[in-house]
Amino acid sequence: MALNIIVLIKQIIDIDQIRTDPNTGEPVTQGIPFRVENLSKNAIEAAVQLKEKNGGKVTGIIFGTDKANAAMKEAYAMGVDDGIIITGYAGNNPSLTAHVISEKIKSISDYNVIILGNQSADSYTGVLPGLIAGKLSVPILGNAVSIEAEDGKIKIRRALEDKDQIISAPTPCVVSVTQEINQPRLPPVLQIMAAGRKPIKTEQPSLVDIHAGKVLSNLAPKSERRRQIFEDASKGSEEVAKAIRSEIK
Amino acid sequence: MKFLVFSDIGKNVAEIATKLRDLGEVHSFTMKNQRETVLKSGSKRLVLLEGTPFSGNVSGALIGSDLPTYDYVFISSTPLGREVAGLISASTGNTIASEIFDFSIDNDKIKTKRFFFGGKTIMEEENSSKIVTVTPGSFEPSESAETAQEETLALSDSHEKLIEEKDRESSGTNIEAAGIIVSVGRGIGSKEAIEKIMPLVSATRGEIAGSRPVCLDYRWLSEERQVGLSGKKVKPRVYIALGISGQIQHIAGMRGSKIVVAVNKDKDAPIFQECDYGIVGDLFQIVPKIVENLKK
Repeated sequence: MALNIIVLIKQIIDIDQIRTDPNTGEPVTQGIPFRVENLSKNAIEAAVQLKEKNGGKVTGIIFGTDKANAAMKEAYAMGVDDGIIITGYAGNNPSLTAHVISEKIKSISDYNVIILGNQSADSYTGVLPGLIAGKLSVPILGNAVSIEAEDGKIKIRRALEDKDQIISAPTPCVVSVTQEINQPRLPPVLQIMAAGRKPIKTEQPSLVDIHAGKVLSNLAPKSERRRQIFEDASKGSEEVAKAIRSEIK
Repeated sequence: MKFLVFSDIGKNVAEIATKLRDLGEVHSFTMKNQRETVLKSGSKRLVLLEGTPFSGNVSGALIGSDLPTYDYVFISSTPLGREVAGLISASTGNTIASEIFDFSIDNDKIKTKRFFFGGKTIMEEENSSKIVTVTPGSFEPSESAETAQEETLALSDSHEKLIEEKDRESSGTNIEAAGIIVSVGRGIGSKEAIEKIMPLVSATRGEIAGSRPVCLDYRWLSEERQVGLSGKKVKPRVYIALGISGQIQHIAGMRGSKIVVAVNKDKDAPIFQECDYGIVGDLFQIVPKIVENLKK
């Protein structure tokens, strides 16, 4: 069964490169590049593997900014067939993101499955899979560590805190993936070059008035640790043992 | 004020209900097999859900339970809870304040705190959201004298079907309650090497725990022992980090510890910025020395 797969890709500021000002605690984001969010790479890999096994095509959607071309090219190089960038992303606001993306998906009538990461690394809200499934009125299979398609159904395996489950739902449905699902491929140079020449559709969002929370502050948490570092293992072990002993009741 | 609280994990309901019960009337919803842990949470009403929970039928049950009469819906951030929050939001049009670890309510506004930029910052926001997802472990549960009025509610059939379910072996440990935690990272090198750490665990009468790679990628320890943004949030009296580099996602899970000890061979490892005592060197040399000193 050939599958029409949609993968949702998030582009984020490279959070590993963000430093916070030691005096003010303010995050310094100026000049820091954007990258494809790690879990989005797992989602792309899962989508492309599903296509390779069942046939069909993968459409990537980014709700981002005009800087998102590089992210989409990376997705192309990994095996995504078509790409749509919706511009106008203006910060973390899951309800608005879900609205924009689900309005776009409604115009792609014959899709079978929407794949996305379960909780992205920057804001960590984790509510987008439910929001999108809710707005499209389709079932949701969450936290997949493997995905299989079989006649009109999607089956996933997932690891919850205390149990492992295999669950299924009829298509179309939403599947959220965890980082354990796969090791995203590193595309060969030829594919990267070919990806650079492939067209990307850029569209305007159907915006609505959904307000995000008003940010009162966004600062590094204060760390009041002593930071007493020993390079002498004997001295260090002695001091550490003393500190531990004072806390053993 | 009237609150609806839901989690598939009873303990998480108790945490949130403890925090909310002084602010108003709490109606708690959880799975029937979680009854014991919620009974004394100070909820006025306890609704026990029967059946196989999926986000579709659970959100349906909550929406069908006079949802508009509640001022706020609090949902614990588990995989099921996050989906339920999304579905309720899509259905009601109310926005979600997500993954919060602290909050205060001022009439129709709620002030929330959550981690941002992968845990590098704390974002404080003022929301008009009526749905809140709460990071498990954010509040300390305590028992209340008030007994809940109990009722059961059958979940409807769902589009999602359970094909197979296997309980994962659980050692019954709860690292969130541990007074001393010895935590290992990738730097431990192998599953077998964890044995070499156990003398320190027994000398401190502590619990062993691990970072995300150790628990999820390599599975050297079970998932219930994972400390971090995506795992357990712990606040022991002493947290001993062995071979843990100190990725911000890990720090977010142990920031509440009273004393942090770090052992790492890389003197530039970020964990040394977040510790009280640090020793630079080979953990397999240093751990026996600490044990020896503890026995003196």
